[in-house]
Amino acid sequence: MIALHNISKRFGTFAALNGVDLTVRDGEFLALLGPSGSGKTTLLRIMAGLAFPDQGQVRFHGEDVTALGVADRKVGFVFQHYALFKHMTVLDNVGFGLSVRPRKERPPKAKIRSRARELLELVQLGGLGDRYPAQLSGGQRQRVALARALAVEPQLLLLDEPFGALDAKVRKELRRWLRQLHEQMGLTSIFVTHDQEEALELADRVVVMEQGTIEQVGSPEEVYMTPSSGFVSRFVGDSNSLPVDLFEGSAYFHERPIYRLSGETGNGGARLDFRPHDVVLDAGGADALPLLVTGVYRRGGSWRVEGTVDGSSRIVEVDVVADAAPPAIGSRLGLSIKRARLFAANGAPQ
Amino acid sequence: MSVSVPFRGDRMVRIALTLAATAFVALFLLLPLIAVFVEALSKGVAVFVAALTEPDALAAIKLTLLVAGISVPLNVIFGICAAWAITKFDFPGKSLLITFIDLPFSVSPVVVGLVYVLLFGAQGWFGPWLIEHGIRIIFAVPGIVMATVFVTFPFIARELIPLMAEQGRDDEEAALSLGAGGLQTFLRVTLPNIRWGLLYGVLLCNARAMGEFGAVSVVSGHLRGLTNTMPLHVEILYNEYNFTAAFAVASLLALLALLTLVLKSTLEWKFDYSHGSVRH
Repeated sequence: MIALHNISKRFGTFAALNGVDLTVRDGEFLALLGPSGSGKTTLLRIMAGLAFPDQGQVRFHGEDVTALGVADRKVGFVFQHYALFKHMTVLDNVGFGLSVRPRKERPPKAKIRSRARELLELVQLGGLGDRYPAQLSGGQRQRVALARALAVEPQLLLLDEPFGALDAKVRKELRRWLRQLHEQMGLTSIFVTHDQEEALELADRVVVMEQGTIEQVGSPEEVYMTPSSGFVSRFVGDSNSLPVDLFEGSAYFHERPIYRLSGETGNGGARLDFRPHDVVLDAGGADALPLLVTGVYRRGGSWRVEGTVDGSSRIVEVDVVADAAPPAIGSRLGLSIKRARLFAANGAPQ
Repeated sequence: MSVSVPFRGDRMVRIALTLAATAFVALFLLLPLIAVFVEALSKGVAVFVAALTEPDALAAIKLTLLVAGISVPLNVIFGICAAWAITKFDFPGKSLLITFIDLPFSVSPVVVGLVYVLLFGAQGWFGPWLIEHGIRIIFAVPGIVMATVFVTFPFIARELIPLMAEQGRDDEEAALSLGAGGLQTFLRVTLPNIRWGLLYGVLLCNARAMGEFGAVSVVSGHLRGLTNTMPLHVEILYNEYNFTAAFAVASLLALLALLTLVLKSTLEWKFDYSHGSVRH
């Protein structure tokens, strides 16, 4: 178990992390998700021992490792741009960690080579041991980097934007493959990403970060379906957001009731967030919000309809199943919200 | 030389520019270089060889090799340290350090020599103390080495700083995360990454160290057979109207320049090559 307690880190006047607490369970696949500048990479580097917090504690299995450097923490670190040693063959890259061990613990040369070959098999790069990194594709390089990190038998695997430099198709394949590898090895793994789709697809749990703090920790389902703040709601998955007034259990937009609230809510201003697929578009009922269609495009099996609501300039995105013709641009439709979440006007949950 | 011009320039302009550049190179660079060899061999090979093998000339050659042999390794160490500190760490006064590294490029070498005389000469700040302890710096080999080190300081650091800045810290961090120590990381990861750039810097540094005249001239005292380097020896011979001998020694320096040029081109080719797609 890895535990972070009250971690803070400043770079000059910029507060990269502000009192972060986090517990990572053994064997889990954890995503640190956030926009750039949210502190996710800094947090990963602090766990690795490549950066050190100004304040707070890092514990591995109860042992305080805050002051230990990366060499003493037994972590594998995979860099966004691979950081392969370009003057060494793939095999020498993978064997590097074993070959720099102190003489007493260092396996014989032949043993290092055979271990490196096994690891290359594991990452499905069997015959490529004699190549140089420059002769490999991006996806292959990232696998070599992974094999190299695994060679030292780390107790924790840390990946910094591991798919960031790859094109979309390779990225998808590598993602699926990494998930399988994780299940096969059961190694506690933490990866950083700014891509919410990647986080939701790969991780057991997602840590959503913003401005140096953790906004929410939860399973992909929890983070998507019950976001704890307006930020999470808008950052994880697409979300529409309308300013509303609450009055006697209903949310009003431009003095029109658009959503019936469940449970007790006060009166006053708030924000109503709803997903594009939690909406029905039709000719319009009493609660329906007038929508002027301004754009339509295909997103897989549905139409993504963009429009402005109730004569304002606010743009709302709606998904409509693509088994019928798309609504015409310029047409006026009624929009009913089926499921929504309410946040305070400043983004806090309400 | 296949530079594509973004606009259709006049053909005549192109030819005129090429001719001007070629004529300039021929007149100011090539012709003097040829003249050195022609003059050196004008009285036959025997005189040429004799000029190079007389004791004072041999002493000058030896001293030049000694000075380069000391100052180049020193600047390799300084250069790597400075480039390492500047590119891998953040510290206050970093830009000031970069400015200071460039100082030898902007100061006249004669001024450097004079400053050393002012500091370490018999009448200088540390002069009395040095005399008391029997240490000779000015008009002796240590002064020549110090002046050469100063003048050649920027060559290696300047070559390494942009290279190491471009490479970033990822490789070193990767090595550390794999359990390598500081020295192992330097020898097995950093040094191979910078080796071509370093060699290039060493080459330029060496050429300048052997050819330096101004600063060395001030601190050396021109003691024949003792504190004369090759450039100083050339000047003495020339002032004595011994032109053939002067050009014979000068031709050695010219050969060094040509050799440096060839090695430099080879390295540039290698350097680009290793940055490209395949192995070095």
